[in-house]
Amino acid sequence: MSEGATALPAAPALPAAPALRPSRFRRLEPVMLLWVALIATLLVLVAAPLLKMLVISFEMQETGEFTFQNYLTAYGRARYLEALRNSLLLGLLSATISTVIAVPMAWAVSRTDMPGKGFTWAVVLAAFVMPPYLGAIGWILLAGPNSGWINVVWRAVTGAQDPLVNIYTFGGMAFVIALHSFPLVFIFVKSALDLISSVMEDAANILGGGTWVTMRRVTLPLVWPSILGGFILIFLETIALFGTPAIIGIPARINVVTTQLWQFFEDPVRVEVAAAFAIPLLLITVALIAVQKLMLNRKGFVSQTGKGGERREVKLGPWRWVLFGWCVTVGLLSVGKPLVVLLQASFAKAWGRGFSLDNLTLRNYRFLLFEHDQAPQAVWNTVWFSAASATMASLLALLVAYIVVRRLMRFADALGFLAMAPFVIPGIVLAIGFYAAYAGPPLSLYGSALLLILAFTARFLPIAYASSQAAIRAVHPEMEEAARILGAGRLHAIRKVTAPLLKTSLLGGWLVVFIVASRELSAAVFLVGPRTRTMSVLLYDLTEQGNFEVVSAFGGILLFITMVIVGIGMKLVGRDFMLRRE
Amino acid sequence: MFLIDRRQMLALAAWSVAATKAWAQAPMHPQERELYEAAKREGEVTWYSGQYSAEPAELAGRAFSERYPGVRCNVVRTTSQVAFQRLSQDARAGVGQCDVFSSTNGGHYIQLKRQNRLLQFRPVNADGLLPILRTPDPDNYFQSSFLGIYLMGHNTRLVSEADAPKSWTDILDPKWKDKLAVGHPGYSGAIGLWALQMRTMYGPDYLVRFERNKPHVGRSSVDPVTMMTAGERSVGVAVPSATMLTAMSRGNPLKLIYPAEGVLAALSPSAIPRNAPHPNAAKLFMEFTTGPGLSTAVRMLFNESIRPDVPPPEGARPLDEVTMLAPSLEEAERGVPEVRETWRELFGV
Repeated sequence: MSEGATALPAAPALPAAPALRPSRFRRLEPVMLLWVALIATLLVLVAAPLLKMLVISFEMQETGEFTFQNYLTAYGRARYLEALRNSLLLGLLSATISTVIAVPMAWAVSRTDMPGKGFTWAVVLAAFVMPPYLGAIGWILLAGPNSGWINVVWRAVTGAQDPLVNIYTFGGMAFVIALHSFPLVFIFVKSALDLISSVMEDAANILGGGTWVTMRRVTLPLVWPSILGGFILIFLETIALFGTPAIIGIPARINVVTTQLWQFFEDPVRVEVAAAFAIPLLLITVALIAVQKLMLNRKGFVSQTGKGGERREVKLGPWRWVLFGWCVTVGLLSVGKPLVVLLQASFAKAWGRGFSLDNLTLRNYRFLLFEHDQAPQAVWNTVWFSAASATMASLLALLVAYIVVRRLMRFADALGFLAMAPFVIPGIVLAIGFYAAYAGPPLSLYGSALLLILAFTARFLPIAYASSQAAIRAVHPEMEEAARILGAGRLHAIRKVTAPLLKTSLLGGWLVVFIVASRELSAAVFLVGPRTRTMSVLLYDLTEQGNFEVVSAFGGILLFITMVIVGIGMKLVGRDFMLRRE
Repeated sequence: MFLIDRRQMLALAAWSVAATKAWAQAPMHPQERELYEAAKREGEVTWYSGQYSAEPAELAGRAFSERYPGVRCNVVRTTSQVAFQRLSQDARAGVGQCDVFSSTNGGHYIQLKRQNRLLQFRPVNADGLLPILRTPDPDNYFQSSFLGIYLMGHNTRLVSEADAPKSWTDILDPKWKDKLAVGHPGYSGAIGLWALQMRTMYGPDYLVRFERNKPHVGRSSVDPVTMMTAGERSVGVAVPSATMLTAMSRGNPLKLIYPAEGVLAALSPSAIPRNAPHPNAAKLFMEFTTGPGLSTAVRMLFNESIRPDVPPPEGARPLDEVTMLAPSLEEAERGVPEVRETWRELFGV
């Protein structure tokens, strides 16, 4: 920072400078100004909201005096503490279920001769693309204790009185969340498994270990860091989730941190208490990341050596069908069944009446597309907010990654750190920070499109950053250097040489940010105004009335848009663009 | 709590003339025309509403835009408590985004008025409202825009009419365990009023016993209607008559229950926040809500007309034949947050 600051005022004196201080002048490349601009942007996007939140958590409302009262209020009631406990348990349970679901799938796809690997990929992709709150609504239709399809069929077949499954329970909620989070574990574990050469497994086999023992004692322990990483990520995603706990948790009578934070925004709006209540969420996150580092530092997990080694598929015999059955089951539960009931409901007059011709109607779609004042506006908002934030995030990420990877500046790592920081900030915490910092004066951005776009950009910057970083690493600097020797400036070289080489992976990163932004709810719900409602927020508002037919139709529209984008992505970038881990 | 005089209502019913059609193209009165001209320059009005459910609210918004071309109505429909929460968030951020605020919980207006956050305005059309709705506030900081009837309903396939509960206390019987559905006072303003009314009539024990029957808790007061049509629960508690009648008209096996003690009536106002970005459009909208325009639109989806010159919806029991129970606005301001807190302690959410 200091270099940038001193270099800037020197700019007007440029003509005289070269002769006197050539070294100083050389440093005054445009990239220096860029660095300053980037730091400023990242401070605005990431550091300022968090700092503001921390500050107001110690402030008295109205007067701004220093106080601990907010923390006492936030943690002074059994119900609020209960919410915290519920969130932690929910996170643990969802992460555990996700791991149980995903690890066998990842192992099967990466290392065995299981059939239907393409199908399994499709399942993982579809489960990832489907917004969790839509899955939750689908599962209400499937597993409502009396009216859910599964229970209706169960009663008809067995004559039983009690329901087979009940979505309105703690386990039910954790299960639904896991069904849409497991792809993260899958991606982490599979890409780690892909790197292990069969030599290690062979060694175990020679020493007498069968397939299962080898998997349990050798293969899986080698990818332990990835399993743990996926587990922690899902834990964090779950405790920050707002939609599913609001839709399922209220009838199930389970209060969690996010729904409690929402209550602090009831009149009188107590942002200070909300901030105090959210700070521990941040601390938990930081602590978890630290624990992960600690646990992994002690052991060696080197599976890649310079000696190469071949990869062979493990022959499973009949067991491969068992694994395939597992993948099919996961596909049915996470995507197949919810999608079928959602589609049915979206075309139904009353979903409880089932699949019959006289129950078919287009009324739900007509209402949304032609009679609803805000639905078309919300569709448009979603598309352009997502596109704008994907563009901003990709651009920022590219520049930061370039500076970090090429080590252009002395403090480049600080940039990288800031760009990755939102990765560990729960979305809802970021939203409260944004509300506290930018909603009111002096900027008064509340209800503006800019506020949402900035929040989405900050929230998903790490995704774009990770993909840019990996892409830039893959491009050897010699190509740029050639351009620079021929007289091109740094930025010119980036634009004409590096960027074209990175086009595909940048586009991939852009699309992933677009998709996750288009379904973002937990930050948006605190930041939207009447003209900036997104599809996810409108969908959430529609669920208030329990009108699942209209809700499903809106969900159908959202999925359609996402599918189009995913389709474009596959066409341009390749089939696995969403699931590549870089 | 007050009861609406039956004789008063009878007189009204006699009054009621079918002048609906005549209104649709009725010429604007001078104040309306003047406001319209000013509103056209503002171009839009943003309506935070928790009173009418999504469909009739959209219908009303379109009716407004049709009568006043060039002034677009942005309908922001949520439950009333959420609408109030959004309004509070706006206020906290110091950003004015709402032009007209409509909540079922009349207590909100007492609070907003006391905090000096409302604009004083009396629409000319307010003089033509039902007498009980004409002057909710002598200082004209808010005007009536909604008369909601909240009662019970049952799914006729799951519970016969003979077995259905008859009064608000019947549902406390343990035989209704796991069969009831209700909204949430933290979201729905009407459910807040209902819970307060029950507390006033039967004491704090009512909610405790109600909770023991493990009702399915949604958010909006409309939610139990879906739960009943789906067959998830058999009896809906404090559901709006309009949504019930709409669902019935679409062939769902539902029936209204008029509890013996009377129905909960939400006589709810609308108001213009002091920092409304489009004050003229907001005033025009108030002319629209108090005029025949709103009543004509929403009665098509079985909501009560709030004017004697627009007939009541079909299928609903005439208002003069039902006892209406309602907390006063002042009681609501103090009482609804209290019962909301009690509720959360009892139900855990």
